[in-house]
Amino acid sequence: MKTKVMVCSFLFFIGILVPLTGAIAAEGSIQIKGSDTMVNLGQAWAEEFMAENSQVSLAVTGGGSGTGIAALINGTCDIAEASRDMKPQEWEQAKKSGHDVHEFKVAVDALAVVVHPSNPVKELTFDQLSGIFTGKIINWNEVGGKDQKILVLSRDRNSGTHVYFLEHVLRKGNEKGPEQYAPATLMLPSTQAIIDEVSQSDSAIGYVGLGYVSPKVKTVAASKMNGGPFVQPSKAAAMDKTYPIARPLLFYTAQAPQGSVKAFLDFVLSAKGQEIVETMDFVPLGKKE
Amino acid sequence: MRRFKEFLIEKIILLNGFACILFVILIFFFLAKDGLTLFKTVSPWHFLFGTLWNPLAEPPQVGILPLFLGSLIVTLGATVISVPLGMACAIFIGEIAPRWIRELLKAGVELLAAIPSIVIGFIGMTMLGPIVKNLFHLPTGLTALTGSLALAFMAIPTIVSIMEDAISSVPRSYKEGSLALGATHWQTIHRVIIPAASSGIVAAVMLGIGRVIGETMAVMMLTGNASVLPKTILEPVRTMTATIAAEMGETVRGSEHYFALFALGLVLFVITFFINLAADAALHQKQK
Amino acid sequence: MLNLLMEKPMLQNATHDVEIKTEKMKISVNGLNAYYGSLQVIKNINLEIMANRATAIIGPSGCGKSTFIRCLNRMHEVIPKAKSDGEVLLDGENIYGGDIDLINLRRRVGMVFQRPNPFPAFTIFDNVASGLKLTGTRDRAFLEDAVERSLVKAALWDEVKDKLNHSGASLSGGQQQRLCIARALAVNPEIILFDEPCSALDPISTGKIEELIHEIKKIYTIVIVTHNMQQAARVSDYTAYFYIGELVEFGETKKIFTNPSKKETEDYITGRFG
Repeated sequence: MKTKVMVCSFLFFIGILVPLTGAIAAEGSIQIKGSDTMVNLGQAWAEEFMAENSQVSLAVTGGGSGTGIAALINGTCDIAEASRDMKPQEWEQAKKSGHDVHEFKVAVDALAVVVHPSNPVKELTFDQLSGIFTGKIINWNEVGGKDQKILVLSRDRNSGTHVYFLEHVLRKGNEKGPEQYAPATLMLPSTQAIIDEVSQSDSAIGYVGLGYVSPKVKTVAASKMNGGPFVQPSKAAAMDKTYPIARPLLFYTAQAPQGSVKAFLDFVLSAKGQEIVETMDFVPLGKKE
Repeated sequence: MRRFKEFLIEKIILLNGFACILFVILIFFFLAKDGLTLFKTVSPWHFLFGTLWNPLAEPPQVGILPLFLGSLIVTLGATVISVPLGMACAIFIGEIAPRWIRELLKAGVELLAAIPSIVIGFIGMTMLGPIVKNLFHLPTGLTALTGSLALAFMAIPTIVSIMEDAISSVPRSYKEGSLALGATHWQTIHRVIIPAASSGIVAAVMLGIGRVIGETMAVMMLTGNASVLPKTILEPVRTMTATIAAEMGETVRGSEHYFALFALGLVLFVITFFINLAADAALHQKQK
Repeated sequence: MLNLLMEKPMLQNATHDVEIKTEKMKISVNGLNAYYGSLQVIKNINLEIMANRATAIIGPSGCGKSTFIRCLNRMHEVIPKAKSDGEVLLDGENIYGGDIDLINLRRRVGMVFQRPNPFPAFTIFDNVASGLKLTGTRDRAFLEDAVERSLVKAALWDEVKDKLNHSGASLSGGQQQRLCIARALAVNPEIILFDEPCSALDPISTGKIEELIHEIKKIYTIVIVTHNMQQAARVSDYTAYFYIGELVEFGETKKIFTNPSKKETEDYITGRFG
C-alpha cells in the first residue's frame, strides 16, 4: 500500500516537472545534450563561452549520443553532441520532422587499448583485436602472452565509444559487418569502471578514451595492417593520423546555426575552443583538412 | 456552503485515487504499445527463449533468455542472502533487543534504506568486487554474486521494516499465552509469533524481491553485464533492468532494438506486477 | 482515602485473622511488592492460598489484582520495566529464588487470560497440544489422548470433536476461552490463575465457565481475578479484597460477603463504592 502511494506521488511529481522543464528550455537558453564522452568537454566550452558572453546561457547534459540525437529530432535540444555518426534511420526521422540537420566535427577522441601492467603483450593488430573482442581468440597465448583466459571489457551499448569500436575495430571499418562483441564480454557502465577493472585483473583487456589512461594500466600499440607499423596511442599520433583508433566528436544542429548557437559553434572551432579540447585530454582538430 | 466544501473535498480525493490507477494503466499501455510492436518482426518465442542478445547486429538478435536468467540468478542470490539476515534482524528488533538498542537499530535500518543505490554500487565495486574476486580466485569480481550481495543490502531495510511491523503487531496476549504455558522465549518466537505474523513475513519477502528485481544502478555497476547464459553465481551476468538502462540512451527511436527494450520493460512490468500481487495476497490473506 | 493509607499496619494484621486449620496451604505470599518502572502497584501483600480451593481476588479497577496473580507465575516480569520483590512460596519453595526453573514453574502454575488468546495460526488440536509440543512431546497417541481429556475437562469436547483441524480463531468467544482453559489444563498444572476470564464474554458463556471452574477445582487450585462480585461469591471459597495495591481484607467468601470485618470491604461489596 505504501509503495502504491509513493508511486502515485512520484507520477504526480513527474507530471508537474515535465511541463516545467519544457518551459525553461523555451526561454532562450541553448540546450546541449548527448554523448557522455563529451559532457565534460561541452561543459568546459560552455563555461568559457558564458564567461565571455554573459547574456547567453547554455545547459549541457549527457545521456548518450542516441539520446541527444533523439532530443534534436524531437526539438527539445539545440545542439546534439555525438561520438558517432547519425544513422541512416535517424537522418530519415529528422527529415520527416522537417529538420535540416547540419553536422560539425569539433574534436577528435583517440581510443587506447589497455591491459594490466603485468601483461607482456605490447602490440596487437586490428585482426587480433577483432578476434579478442568477438570471442574467436580466448587465450592470451594466442597473441603472444601468458597461458591465461582473456577477460574482455567493453563500454555498454549506450556508449558511442562502444559503437565506434564495434564498427571500426571489430568490423575493421566495414560498418555493417557481421562481427559482434562476444556474449561473454563484460559491458561496463563507465570508462572509469574499465580502468578500475583492468588495473585489478591481470587477464583483462579494454578500451578507453586517451584522457582516461593512467599509470595503473598499460596501453597497447595498435596496427591496422598485419605486421605493423604499431603505434602507441598519443595525442600527437592521433593528430598526425598515424594512430588508427581515433574518431571524430560531432555536433549536430537541427538547421543551419544562427545567432548564439552559431556564436558558440564558432567559439568551439576557434583556437581558444581547441585549446580547451587539449586541456580536457581530447585531441584538437589541428589544421583544416 | 459547508456541504459543498465537503462534497468538493470528497471528489478531489476520489479523483486523486483514480488518478493513481489511471497512471498505472497509462504506463502499461504505453509500454505495451511500443513493446508489442516488436512482435511484428520477431516471434515471441525467439524473444523469450532466444539465447543471443545482440541488438546492434544486422538483423538484431533479441533473445532475452540470458537477461531473464541473469535477473533470476541475481534476485535469487539476493533473496537467499537477505531473507534470513532480514528475518533475524526483524526478530531481534521486534522481540529481543532492549529498547535503546531497538531504537538504534531501527534508525540504522532506515538509514540503510536511504542510501542511494549508486552509492551501494560504488562501494560494491571498490570493496565487494575485489573481495569476491580474491575469495574465489576469479578473473573478475564483477559477478552475479557481487550483485546479489549488494542487492541484499538494499532489500534488507524493506524486509526488516515490514517484518518487524508484522512481528510487533502480533498481540501481546499470544506471546503471554505461550510464555504462561511454559514455553521459552525462543520457542514462543519460533512457534507462536512467527506463525502469527506469517502473512506479513511473506509480504516482506515478496516486497524485498520486488525491490531487488527492479533495481538497476547497482547491478549495472556490479554484475559485469555479459549477456551469457549463467552457469554459476560466480560468473558475470546481464540483468533485464541493466540492459534497459544501458541501451536506451543509444538506441535509434523506432528501431527494432528500441522496441525490444520496451518489450523487455513489459516483461519486467509483468513480473513485478505478479510479485506485488502475491505480496498483497499474502498481506490480506484471511485466516482459514 | 488518606486514612486508609495511614492504617496500613492494621490492614496487614487482617491477613492473620483467617481460619486455615482444616486446609492445606498451596501458596504463601510474604511481603510481595510489584512495580512498573518507579510506580509501585502492589504493596507488601501477605496472603495464603489453599490447595483445591478457589480464591477470588476482587477490587476496583487498577487496584493491582491482575498484577498480583501475574506475580504468582512470574508473568509480571514479562512486561518491559516491570519488576517485583518479596517471597512467593509454592509448596514451601520460593519461586523468586535463584535456582527456580521458570519453565517448570509456569507449567505448574497455568494461566487463563482476560481475552481469549488461542494461537491464531494453530488448529484447535494444536492449540490444546501446544503446551505439550512446546516442551518437546512428539508422541501422537499421547497428544491425542491429552487433547481429548483436556477438552472434555474444559467442557468443549462435544462442540469441537468433529472439527479439531479447524483454526482456533473460528470458534466463538466463549468457546475460545474454554479452548484456552483446555490449553492450560493440557500441561497438567497444579494451579490455574484466571485473570478476569469472563470479562469479554456473554452471560451464557460466563455461566459455562463458572460451572467449569467449580468442576475443576476438585483437581486444581484456582485463583480467579474478577470485578464481578456475584461471580466471586458463586465460584470462590476464599476472597481477597484489594484496594490501590493493598490487601484490605482476606477471608472465607461466605464471611467476606455476609459479615466483612472492614468497613471499606463492606462499602465495596454493597456497591456504595467502586
